[in-house]
Formats: sequence, C-alpha cells, structure tokens
Amino acid sequence: MRRHRLVNVLFVAPCVFAFAMNIIIPFGFGLYYSMTDWNGVSPDIHFVGLANFAGLFSSPDFIYSFIITVAYTAINIVLVNAVSFGLSLIVTGRIRGRNFLRAGFFIPYLIGGIVLGYIWQFIFNNALVAVGKSLSIAALQSSFLSKPGTVIWIMSIVNTWQYAGYIMLIYVAAIQGIPASLMEAAEVDGANYPTRVFKILMPMMANAFTISLFLTLTTSFKQFDMNLTLTNGGPATRFMDTPIKASQLLAMNIFNTATANRMAEAQAKAVVLFVALVVVALLQVAANKKKEVEL
Amino acid sequence: MRRSFARIVSIAAALVCIAAVVSCSKPAPEQAKAVEVNMFQLKVEIKDALDGYAAAYSAAHPGVTVKVETLGGGQDFGGAMKAKAQAGQMPDIFVIEGLGGYNVWKDYIADLSGEPWVKDTDLAMKVDGKIVGFPVAIEGYGLAYNADILAKAGIDPATLTTRAAYEKAFAKLDSMKKELGISAPVSMAASVAGGMWWVAAQHNLACYWGGGLAFDDTSVIDKALKGELDEARFTQYAKYLQLLYKYADQNILLNGSYDDQVGAFAQGKTAFLHQGNWVDPNLKQLGVTFPIGYAPHAFLDTEEKGLYLFAPSWYCVNSKSPNAEAAKAFLTAMATTPEGHDYMVNKAGMIPAFKSVTLKPAGQLSQALMAANAKGGNYGVFFGMLPDGAGQNVFGPIFDLFAQNQNDLPRFISDMKKAVANIPNM
Repeated sequence: MRRHRLVNVLFVAPCVFAFAMNIIIPFGFGLYYSMTDWNGVSPDIHFVGLANFAGLFSSPDFIYSFIITVAYTAINIVLVNAVSFGLSLIVTGRIRGRNFLRAGFFIPYLIGGIVLGYIWQFIFNNALVAVGKSLSIAALQSSFLSKPGTVIWIMSIVNTWQYAGYIMLIYVAAIQGIPASLMEAAEVDGANYPTRVFKILMPMMANAFTISLFLTLTTSFKQFDMNLTLTNGGPATRFMDTPIKASQLLAMNIFNTATANRMAEAQAKAVVLFVALVVVALLQVAANKKKEVEL
Repeated sequence: MRRSFARIVSIAAALVCIAAVVSCSKPAPEQAKAVEVNMFQLKVEIKDALDGYAAAYSAAHPGVTVKVETLGGGQDFGGAMKAKAQAGQMPDIFVIEGLGGYNVWKDYIADLSGEPWVKDTDLAMKVDGKIVGFPVAIEGYGLAYNADILAKAGIDPATLTTRAAYEKAFAKLDSMKKELGISAPVSMAASVAGGMWWVAAQHNLACYWGGGLAFDDTSVIDKALKGELDEARFTQYAKYLQLLYKYADQNILLNGSYDDQVGAFAQGKTAFLHQGNWVDPNLKQLGVTFPIGYAPHAFLDTEEKGLYLFAPSWYCVNSKSPNAEAAKAFLTAMATTPEGHDYMVNKAGMIPAFKSVTLKPAGQLSQALMAANAKGGNYGVFFGMLPDGAGQNVFGPIFDLFAQNQNDLPRFISDMKKAVANIPNM
C-alpha cells in the first residue's frame, strides 16, 4: 500500500511540476504583481494594494473594452452556435457530398487567426469598397471596419466563419450518437422535421450544447489574434466623453497596456478578465448541465 | 537486494541529472579575456548591414567579438528585452526609443558623457545633463511632394511656408484632380485600424510640440507634461491638421495601411505624402522616378521653413555588463572611423547624426533632409518625452475620431485639452 502511494506520487510528479511551474506559480505571481506598481523591469517594487483595480473602473477605455467584450461574446455564442448547428443538420442529412462539405466547412478553422484577420481586412477595406465604387452602391463605398457601430458585428461574422466548422464537428458527433431508432419512431408517429429536431434531437444532444457554448464563450472572451490583425482596435469612437478604440476587446486592451510599460495595471486587468471569465463560464455550465439527459 | 540495487541506480541517475543541470547553469570560465559584446536592436532594415559591420569589426579587433541580434518586423522589442533581463541575458548594447524607455531601463544605462563622439552630434540622448544614448541615425520629415505634379499645377513648393499658402495650393490641386490624374491632393493616414495612428498622433502632433521653435526648445511639451495645452498655438495647429484631413484621400485616411498610404503617392495618385525619409527604400522598390522634395509643415499663421529632425532611437550601453568598455569602443568606432561612416551611410542607408560624416545617402528624401540639416533652422521632435502609451492609447483615438468628424474642430481641441490635462497622471 505504502509503495503504491510512492509510485502514484512519482507518476503524478512531472505533471504536477509542469502545471505548478507554468500555471500555479505564475498565477500567484500575477496576483501579487497586480497589487504592485511594477513596470516589468525595475527591481524596486512597491505594494500598492488594490489601487490598480480601483483605477480600472473609472477609466473609460477599460469599461468600454469590458462592455464590448461581453457584447461580442453574446453575439458570438448565438451566431456561431446557430450557424454550426444548422451546418451540422445539413451535413448529417441525406444530401450528396456530405464528407466534402464537412471538410469544406472545417477548413477555415485551420487558418491561423493572424492570417485570417489580414485576409478579411483586405476583403472589407479593399475588395468590398472596390465593388461598391464600381457598382455605385453607397453602403459599400466606405469600409465596414471604419464604422464604430458595425465593427463588433463584422468581427463576429469573421469569427463565425472561422469557428463554426469546428463547433459543427462537435454537433455532428452528437447527432450521430443519437440512436436512429428514436428519430424513426418519431417519424412513424407523424412528427414533422422541425418537431423532430426541436423535441428529440436538441434535448438528446444537450451535452454537446454545454461543450459548444463553453468553447465559444471562453474563446470569444479571450479573443486576441483576429482582433489585432482585422481591426487593431480601430476605429475610434466616443465613450464617456473620451475618444477610445471602438473594437479593442479586453485581451487587446491588456496587451496595449502592457506594451506601454504599465505591467502592473495590465496584470490587474488580466485578473479582472480571469474572474469575469470564470464566473460567466461556471454559470453557463451549471445552467446547461441541468438540461442534459442521460440516455 | 535487487530492489536496493535499483534504488541506487535511480539515485545515481538523479544525481547525474542534477549535476548536469548545475554545471550547465555555471558560466564557462573566460578564456584569455576574449570579450563578446552582444547587441540587441530592432531595425530590421539595417540587419544585414549591421551584421556585416559587426563581423568586420570583430575581424579587425582580435579578442573582441560583436554579435548582433535583431528582433524582426514590429515585434514587441520592450517585451523581448524584459524577457532577456529576467533570464539574466541582458545585452551589452541595446536600443531605447525615448524617455519612456530610459525610465524603464535607467538602472542598466551607462553614462556615455566622456565618449569622443559626443561633441560631434546634436542628437545624443541627454538626461539630467548626462549623455546616455548614442543616436542611431537622423530621421525626419516634412510634407513630401511630387515635384512633377506641383509643376504641372503651377505651384512653386518654395512658397509653401504658411498655412494660407497650403490652403490655396490644396484647393487648386483639388480643382485640377482630373487633369493631374490624382485622386486627392494629400496622402495622409490617421487610422487606428490601419496601425497608422503614429503618422497623425505622433509625427504630425510633433509639429505642435516643436514647430517654429528653436531646435532644442522644449517649452511647449514641458508645459504639456505639466498638463497644460497652449490653446492659441494648438488652434493654429488643429486648423492645419484639418486642412490635411480635408484634402486627403478619405479611404486611406480612415482605414489605409502604411502600404496604401505610401503606394498612393508612389503611383502619382496624390501630390503630397505625410511621411519621413524612411520611405525612401519603399519608393525605390515601387519604381518611383519623379523628383521629390520636402515642404515644411507650416501650421502657424507666421512663416515656417524648417523640417523636423530627430534621432528615432539610441544605443545604450549596459552599465552592469563586464564588457561595457568594449561596447563603448564599438560605438566610438562606428561614429569616428571611415569604416563606420561607410556602414552607416552606404550600407545601412541611414543619415548619420554626426557632423563629421561627409558621405551622402542615396534616397531623395534623405538627401533633402541632409540638405536641410546642413542649412539649419530645423525643428526638434519631442514626442519621445511623453509617457509610454500616450500616443497609441490616448492621442491615437482622438486623431482618428477627428478624421471621422473633420468639421468638429472645437471638439478636437477640447478632447486634446482634456487628454493633455491627464498626462501628469499617466
């Protein structure tokens, strides 16, 4: 028994070591630095308590970043899941070229967020504007990325284009895991297609929704790469009577704060992001879990 | 018995591992005082030239090896430096880009006041009377013009020395767009989205900080650092910016990238370009053959004739390094020997900040700057004295928003007043 315990400890040790060094200890340091005035280099660090946090909630750019990150996440959760669920119904149906379609929908996910951002930036800033000019369509003549009101939606659309194929695969797997007999029985009983989808399919794959909602929620909350290359935080808009960047999500706000040598302040923002993400994700998972059914 | 043998073997193995780790972390003993100077810099465009010069210098100085590491294309140099410092691999020569950088790294920055090149330059970085930085190059800007287009429109660039003159010239060009084949008079960029906030909110705003004053007169920015904006002066500046915005290609202004902005000028689609001499290689690449010159950013009601000259970055020597003396000698050689001059001008294509250099750079804009430097009467560029992030995170959105609402001059002025009032708290 005793030897067993030693073996267990030895087997777990490398993982615990790596996890501690990469996650736990940096996390502890992060918490500590968020309560100091460290600039990233200076050896003399002063403890300032919660001053960094207090400053955050009076700075318009941070409040705005927080609000649009929540909005962007909400839009994304709806858009990505609606689109990917629709796609999964299509590619599990009786149409021809199902496998080809599955691969096709999945491919955008394989393109890195940086590259993808630049490609779509070109499409919105150059291609669509050129089309608008040659066809004299007024709405297209100035880039959608230059309108503070639409830019979050554009980012969500690009993110959906990228991410829907991946979530679709999760739904496809869930749909295929549902016994065909259930659907057939319902069909024999006279249930039409929408009824079957809403009353049988969706309740039966509730666990897939839990996972998919969780994934879209966390990735949207932490969105950075596509944000950087597609909009770079622009254009500017006015909030609380201060000009700020209209599409600067939280992660990018943290990054821009850190690169301005305000490490402690950036760290405090990161802690806020972490807490918000944990709270929202736990609520979402708890709510979804209630709807899951065991087969 | 067998088990204890296994245990001994495993303990021995563990000890060997530990010994290996320990011995690796100890620096190898120095051999015969061979000094290795490590340099860490961020100008990708001079990487090959600098590597070549460092190799030649190392070959000419037995016992000294200079190794240059370059961080590529717009990566986070400050972040990379911090990582190096944390890892105990602080380079012997590194780059700072202004007072913000100085304040971060001041514990590591050596006093260079006694170096022989100090008397030969006006652009060394000076803090509290001490020389702390070696100027990498002179960069500078005015409003670059396409001389062919101006000649066709009958505008003499020498007359562009007041805001009123610009207004007339822009209006004339705007009315002749079809004949001249241009899409707009000016190629200007101000968009946060295109990553071009620095053109408007840093370089153009520098006109307000230093324009029309003596080269080292920092009175306007000193005031700003205390939170005050000189409203009369700023209003004149804002009117000039408004002109540039109004007559700019709007698509480039609002979402253009660097390539869009420079490309439009290079293709002859605009008569003016708001960029510095660093676009020379880009213009060459784009096959520009038309003659180009610099007109001053004349924003005041009174006449202004100077260009804006500055050292964009400085080399600093790591004061905590045992190789500090060798590093200083390397910089001195760069500034004072013919090989160093050849490297700076001919190989790297820079305008050296040292007056004793007689070589001429190749680019048209660089030549214009060098001529202006020789003539004198230029203006200093002081945005480096602002707190870190002020340009990108505070002024950038203000200038972008003004580009979106070009008629709202009072709003722009009040936004800037508020932002400047907040500078002391940054």
